[in-house]
Amino acid sequence: MANLYVKAVPPADLNRNTDWFMYPGVWTTYILFLFFSWLLVLSIFGCSPGMAWTIVNLAHFLVTYHFFHWKKGTPFSDDQGIYNSLTWWEQIDNGKQLTRNRKFLTVVPVVLYLIASHTTDYQHPMLFLNTLAVIVLVVAKFPNMHKVRIFGINADK
Amino acid sequence: MITIPYLTALSTYFSYGLLFAFGQFRDFFRKIFDWWQASNLQGYAPICLGLEDFYIRRLYLRIQDCFGRPIASAPDAWFDVVERYSNDNNKTLKRTEKISRCLNLGSYNYLGFAAADEYCTPRVIDSLNRFSASTCSTRVDGGTTTLHKELEDCVANFVGKPAAVVFGMGYVTNSAILPVIIGKGGLIISDSLNHNSIVNGARGSGATIRVFQHNTPSHLEKVLREQIAEGQPRTHRPWKKIIVVVEGIYSMEGELCKLPEIVTVCKKYKAYVYLDEAHSIGAVGKTGRGVCELLGVDTADVDIMMGTFTKSFGSCGGYIAGSKELIQYLKYTCPAHLYATSISPPAAQQIISSIKVILGEDGSSRGAQKLARIRENSNFFRSELQKMGFEVLGDNDSPVMPIMLYNPAKIPAFSRECLKQNIAVVTVAFPATPLLLARARICISASHTKEDLLKALEVISQVGDLVGIKYFPAEPKKQLQHQEQQPGKDTIKLE
Repeated sequence: MANLYVKAVPPADLNRNTDWFMYPGVWTTYILFLFFSWLLVLSIFGCSPGMAWTIVNLAHFLVTYHFFHWKKGTPFSDDQGIYNSLTWWEQIDNGKQLTRNRKFLTVVPVVLYLIASHTTDYQHPMLFLNTLAVIVLVVAKFPNMHKVRIFGINADK
Repeated sequence: MITIPYLTALSTYFSYGLLFAFGQFRDFFRKIFDWWQASNLQGYAPICLGLEDFYIRRLYLRIQDCFGRPIASAPDAWFDVVERYSNDNNKTLKRTEKISRCLNLGSYNYLGFAAADEYCTPRVIDSLNRFSASTCSTRVDGGTTTLHKELEDCVANFVGKPAAVVFGMGYVTNSAILPVIIGKGGLIISDSLNHNSIVNGARGSGATIRVFQHNTPSHLEKVLREQIAEGQPRTHRPWKKIIVVVEGIYSMEGELCKLPEIVTVCKKYKAYVYLDEAHSIGAVGKTGRGVCELLGVDTADVDIMMGTFTKSFGSCGGYIAGSKELIQYLKYTCPAHLYATSISPPAAQQIISSIKVILGEDGSSRGAQKLARIRENSNFFRSELQKMGFEVLGDNDSPVMPIMLYNPAKIPAFSRECLKQNIAVVTVAFPATPLLLARARICISASHTKEDLLKALEVISQVGDLVGIKYFPAEPKKQLQHQEQQPGKDTIKLE
């Protein structure tokens, strides 16, 4: 088990901010990270499993919205700022829509929503917050929303 | 093709996620503190846009003592490294007076010309006395001396092309030539792992840039077919010119380029080939003439051959070799030739003398010995490292060998532990390499003796065990088999 090897083919992506997502192991890390954060929340707050999933879902919403759809540009200056007006979501896969990575990232919030609402027995107010989270995240990932800035929020100056 | 153990990939992602999260927390608190403190910078524009210095402030500065170490002697096989200390957790580093003598596994000193050489150095000092340290003018004004003409003839002869032009700086050779030979309406297809100078030159030219998968001639053919069929973006007119840019040895992988297949593909689709031999000229090939000689490609098939003198020749500067018409055109148009200071005369003399030594024209066989030694050293070192279980990249005969580290925490661990035992290695991380694939890059030189290499192997093996980078199973040592056949002194024979 410890000797399971994977081959890493360097992808033809020049953007160092996003090419790490095309290597093997990212999806598993993402899923494992969500699972372990659920365990962490359970052990710290001592709440019901459903509440813990709701907290994970909302935290996931805030974190992924901030880093995928709000922050623009890259965290280093070697690329001379050519991606400065694009969010991370718009940069991955060189801007190509509906690739495997994008489909996976769109499915994850939906699955989290289903788990969270199932384990809380569809009660308010958790249901409302969870639904809000999944609607915002999924709409932000639509191909038609590529480079769209609603009401000029987060547009370049 | 890099083989990663799956658990290592997962733990590397997790480590980078943790570092990123810590960096974001610290930035968040820093913003709160700065909001409370009044600042007198009203009306000043910010130096950095958005988060573009995040990586430097929160990841690079934490392990800053592993990069950019100052040295106090010539970068020969053994050199003096200045010790530094920090009082504020690596944000600033202060130099001390102490130096430590370390084995140099990081300099690109492939043929050993980095330190004083018995043939080259007296001639260089002569030319320093005769021509002074700098020509203080551009090539077209007053900066072309007899040395420069001799150098260009020498380089053209060595590389195997009709003519050559020499510039004062290696990086500038790429970034100033590409805009001159291709412009808007042209297409540059470059390997995905090409050096930053090529990327800069391509971006500065205004041509359309497409990238093909590293060292994969089949993908290059696919990209060429697609682009020729589509034509220029929006107007769909045919391309004015197509140039394919590849490197001889890729400095971060140590791999040789698949030149014969790439040249065949380019000839089929009538694209020009631009070969950047920065690391391979003088270091590979039977007489040191680079990757064309090693792989058996006719130099007339490669249209533009570029190289630098920093690695194998112990000097500075770069050259472009091609047909006489191309070089004549470059001399009329290239800004590095018309406006930049010409290469310094002692540096030019060093190149001429080192080429003479390599070719054996100085009357001794030192050149052939150096070439044989670097080949032996590289092959020996690489095979020993692989036997110990390290993951080493690169082909046989290539003097560059990266050892994969992967985890961001192993980078400073490996670097500092090796320095404690007086071995100086260079570690490379994101963003020079992809995020997952951090590595320690070892450059073998012809001036390393067998004892140096054995000491290095012992230290690297110890540090590798400590840090945990022996990802492959080590090969069983052959001595154990001999011991089993002979009865030992302390075994009792049961009769």
